[in-house]
Amino acid sequence: MFAYVIRRVLATIPVMALVALFVFSLLYLAPGDPAAVIAGDQATPQDVERIRASLGLDRPYLVRFGSWVWGILNGDMGVSIFTNLPVTTMIAQRIEPTLSLMILTLILAVTIAVPMGVVAAWKQGTLIDRAVMGFAVLGFSVPVFVVGYLLAYVFALELDWLPVQGYTALSKGFLPWLENLVLPAVALGGVYIALIARITRATMLEVLQQDYIRTARAKGAGQGSILFLHALKNAAVPIVTVIGIGIALLIGGAVVTESVFAIPGLGRLTVDAILRRDYPVIQGVVLLFSFVYVLVNLIIDLAYTLFDPRIRY
Amino acid sequence: MQRRDLFLGGAGLALGGTLAAPALAQPAASRVLKFIPQADLGILDPHITTAYVTRHHAFLVFDTLYGMDAEFRVTPQMAAGHAVEEDGRRWTITLRPGLKFHDGTPVTAKDCVASIRRWSGRHPLGQELNARLEEMSAADDQRIVFRLKRPYPLLAEALGSLVTPCCFIMPERLAKQDTSKPITEMVGSGPFRFKADERVQGSRFVYERFEGYVPREDGTPSWTAGPKRVNLNRVEWIVTPDPSTAAAALQNGEMDWWEQPTTDLLPLIQRNRNIVVENPNPTGLVGWGRFNHLHPPFNNPAIRRALMAAVSQDDYMTAVAGTDRSLWRDHVGFFPPETPFASDAGMEALKGPRDFDKVKRDLAAAGYKGEKVVLLAATDFPILNALAQVGNDMLRRAGMNVDFVATDWGSVVARRASREPPERGGWSMFFTFWTGLDVINPGVNQCIRGNGKDGWFGWASSERLEGLRQRWFDAPDLAAQKALAREMQAAAFEEAPTLPLGQYFQVTAYRRSLSDVPKGMPLFWGLKKAA
Repeated sequence: MFAYVIRRVLATIPVMALVALFVFSLLYLAPGDPAAVIAGDQATPQDVERIRASLGLDRPYLVRFGSWVWGILNGDMGVSIFTNLPVTTMIAQRIEPTLSLMILTLILAVTIAVPMGVVAAWKQGTLIDRAVMGFAVLGFSVPVFVVGYLLAYVFALELDWLPVQGYTALSKGFLPWLENLVLPAVALGGVYIALIARITRATMLEVLQQDYIRTARAKGAGQGSILFLHALKNAAVPIVTVIGIGIALLIGGAVVTESVFAIPGLGRLTVDAILRRDYPVIQGVVLLFSFVYVLVNLIIDLAYTLFDPRIRY
Repeated sequence: MQRRDLFLGGAGLALGGTLAAPALAQPAASRVLKFIPQADLGILDPHITTAYVTRHHAFLVFDTLYGMDAEFRVTPQMAAGHAVEEDGRRWTITLRPGLKFHDGTPVTAKDCVASIRRWSGRHPLGQELNARLEEMSAADDQRIVFRLKRPYPLLAEALGSLVTPCCFIMPERLAKQDTSKPITEMVGSGPFRFKADERVQGSRFVYERFEGYVPREDGTPSWTAGPKRVNLNRVEWIVTPDPSTAAAALQNGEMDWWEQPTTDLLPLIQRNRNIVVENPNPTGLVGWGRFNHLHPPFNNPAIRRALMAAVSQDDYMTAVAGTDRSLWRDHVGFFPPETPFASDAGMEALKGPRDFDKVKRDLAAAGYKGEKVVLLAATDFPILNALAQVGNDMLRRAGMNVDFVATDWGSVVARRASREPPERGGWSMFFTFWTGLDVINPGVNQCIRGNGKDGWFGWASSERLEGLRQRWFDAPDLAAQKALAREMQAAAFEEAPTLPLGQYFQVTAYRRSLSDVPKGMPLFWGLKKAA
């Protein structure tokens, strides 16, 4: 097991190196010029040229790539072209809101979706099953921003229960933190709930047909025990896999959700950086997201051993 | 108290009231203003960029030697006054006493000299100052002396110009930094201090009242002129990229002021009786279609001139701002209407029905042979996209071979810097807006210039226009300046360096609890907020 973890951690190095090369090259080839954006619409070409030279954007590809990689190896992600702030500082400022949003969404989604899927499988073909599947279709079909606007309209504008936008740090109190995150988490969680509920239902349906479930029933086990102890544990591997894959959905959805609810998170930082061609920030955030994704996959692989003793590393 | 406070309070009680952080002393709500700026404040250095959002930030933090009022008159602001001697070749500007920077050091003439030097290379009126300047020095702590090779009657106008970048005064140690390296330490002598420790880039910028600020005692507050008396303790800029969210936050009172509501949401917020919607700037924004003068087909003045007859400003402005005519104006020449240099010279080119058959014939007669027109369209800015869409239609109806490149603004600004031919990654035309203040006179208006490769993107060359501009700088009085501006506009309609596409008024929206909201641009002195 330990050797496996070490192997997997080492395997992330070439993956991250490839990601770095890919991201840097794509940005290098993409149209756009941060110097022109800094100078502003009214600037002359001479102004733009001067700024470009001062930023080192006129240096050859290999020199720029080498300098960036060397910085990364020394723990320095560079400095934002626009704000002159270190990329690490900008990421540090933005990581809490995104992490908060993702964790709350994850808790919300798993808490709602898994029981929904289990109940739908148990009551297959009934109205409850159809309602759960109907909700899943809705969750997949309605874009996050539409759900976000609807929630803001009802709960912020009409009922005035929750704020429309913003983020309050957890250090300023749990309730103010929660107050700002409830609507975004519900909006972002919709598609995630739908995904997990569907997979849970499908896997549970398969497991519930197994012989050992019949045996459990024959031994007089209660319905709750059958569903949540015998069936769900054996259905857990695909569900956990989907939860892990869903992290990518959350990262993508966070970009939109953070814009709709004006949450100062990493998603908005990425969008702003892309629009301005702030290369060091884009590179830093994409590397971080890639690392998180690799890490989540590793954790999920390790989690399999908890649910299925047959799996050994 | 709002319902959500009750909700929160109830939830707090239910959880034993133990989860919220201890209440710290907070400024009274009526002394805190929450403002949604037009964009993220990406660059803090006001000398390095022409971005308007940076100018508005800078008017909080920094001060200027002169201010401009709503009648476009320039009056002393940090300056106590000035003396002009030696037939206009020597100016002495004296500073008001008691001016201090936010770090507690006094503002001296040396700071002003260094700041003017840093600013002047980036501003058209500053560049003209440099061309005429023999020497600029600090005679003592209070007096700045300009020795000029030739008189420069517009020196005060230059130092008080609202065209970006404005001449903001900063400490000498910061002003000595080259403009290719943006300054990040925000130390000015303006009425508010920048709270660097509360900055969350892309989200939140905070300003606190500067107790050491000394407003001038004379004059009437108007735009950036007159006394800057502050009634707020704190101004918070909350960057809200989504217009619907901004509208909702303004409606439910989370925000006090939204700088630039989008046209599509105006009917919604206008229905709210707690919100005031008004036009803060009568000079508005003027739309332009900019030609690339280096390559065919628009290196041919006859082709550009022929297209002038295809322009329907009504169409452009309707696409930008809808059918509410209070939000826009057509029959707009090269200077904004109702400003000192606006005139009807050459305006017949924009009048009468648009006859596209005649435009086609004129284009053919001018030598248009179906060359490709690469039109750059920034689709991520709705008002720029609207101009480009109408422009595309206009060119096609005129029979031109248009390659419509729909992309984002970041790509447009990069590609427009290319001087390559359109077929090798260059371009033929793009569309943009300038605020009316940026094109208010021949000195600052880039759309009417002909300074070739030293000029704005498109690189229009015209000795005639440049000669008239130089004469405008030397004109002895306003009447002479007006006559020259008239002559320039007539020439511009003949040479068509740029197409004028109409004027649009960007309204602002704020809660009725605010009063005495300054005009011209988002400024934060004089303004009061009711509890």
